[in-house]
Amino acid sequence: MKIIIATMLALIISTSVMATQENYAFETDQQRVDFKRLTAELRCPMCQNQNIADSDAMIAHDMRRKVYQLITQGNNHDQVIDFMKQRYGDFVHYQPPVTNTTIWLWILPFSVLLLGGWILVRRKPIDINNSVSDTDKVHAIDQDALIAKAEAMLEKDK
Amino acid sequence: MINTRFIVPLVVFVTLVFFLYQGLFSDPRERDSQVLAQPMPTFSLPDLMDPSVIHTNKVFIGQVTLLNIWGVWCVTCAIELPYLTELSQQGVRFVGLYYDQDLDPDFGTKTLARVQQEVTETTNQLGNPFEFNIFDVYRDTSLDLGVTGAPETLLIDQQGVIRVHHIGDINPRVWETKFAPLYDELIAQGVTQ
Repeated sequence: MKIIIATMLALIISTSVMATQENYAFETDQQRVDFKRLTAELRCPMCQNQNIADSDAMIAHDMRRKVYQLITQGNNHDQVIDFMKQRYGDFVHYQPPVTNTTIWLWILPFSVLLLGGWILVRRKPIDINNSVSDTDKVHAIDQDALIAKAEAMLEKDK
Repeated sequence: MINTRFIVPLVVFVTLVFFLYQGLFSDPRERDSQVLAQPMPTFSLPDLMDPSVIHTNKVFIGQVTLLNIWGVWCVTCAIELPYLTELSQQGVRFVGLYYDQDLDPDFGTKTLARVQQEVTETTNQLGNPFEFNIFDVYRDTSLDLGVTGAPETLLIDQQGVIRVHHIGDINPRVWETKFAPLYDELIAQGVTQ
């Protein structure tokens, strides 16, 4: 049993080792932090929804290599993002800029919220005394009669 | 009052249906190329077969060129090679931008001789449309072009400006719709100039 557990653990650990097979050496900790952040923020243009840190596609490998190169050459975060956007468009960054098209993603939810609020405010509370029609009046009289009857019964029970 | 109660949700519903219906037929992989109408990025790369020859942007000046990004490891490339060869026999100029799949070029184990041998084998078998192949050793130029994989093909005009960026293989249908009209126009311009 122990051997099985040990083997399974070894397998689990070894896969995570494989995932970090590429070893990049950084001069400063800041560069390492930048690299991690950038590879998490940049989207693989080939795969539908993976960042380049996760993806094993060839293009993701190449982009990681490029990010490493650019960082060690002294480029900062924004410069690397711009470099990639110039080549792969806004798609490549997980934080899309607000444009004429993407502005609707902000406008629509808020306008639905406002519309809902407006409907709630505009809706009049049901007012029995003012909005009663003739049939309602008859009904109201009936109700009064019933209440009187009920009260009389309660009296009787005492 | 009754009218707006029906009309407002109906309009919202119809808009939503229209929006989602369009989504059914949209290709999530389709993206605008960033290099269209841009000059070919500056490069200086060796010839695949004779690395002592260095190609630069000059190779695109004065002629309409189709730059085909490919590799022998790429399955779709093998499918389009015969058709590209056919086109090249009709006078279309093809230049290859070759890249190898060795994941890390810095530590790649493949020798150049091995790559050359593989390319020769493939082109002997399937046809060779290429005037020559530019060897994108570090895949930097592919990255500059926004290439996401192979095959991809660029139509470059006489001034070295990229006019079409096609992702995927070239077949008769793609050629007729996406390339031929502009290609013919550019050739005609070149003749009158």
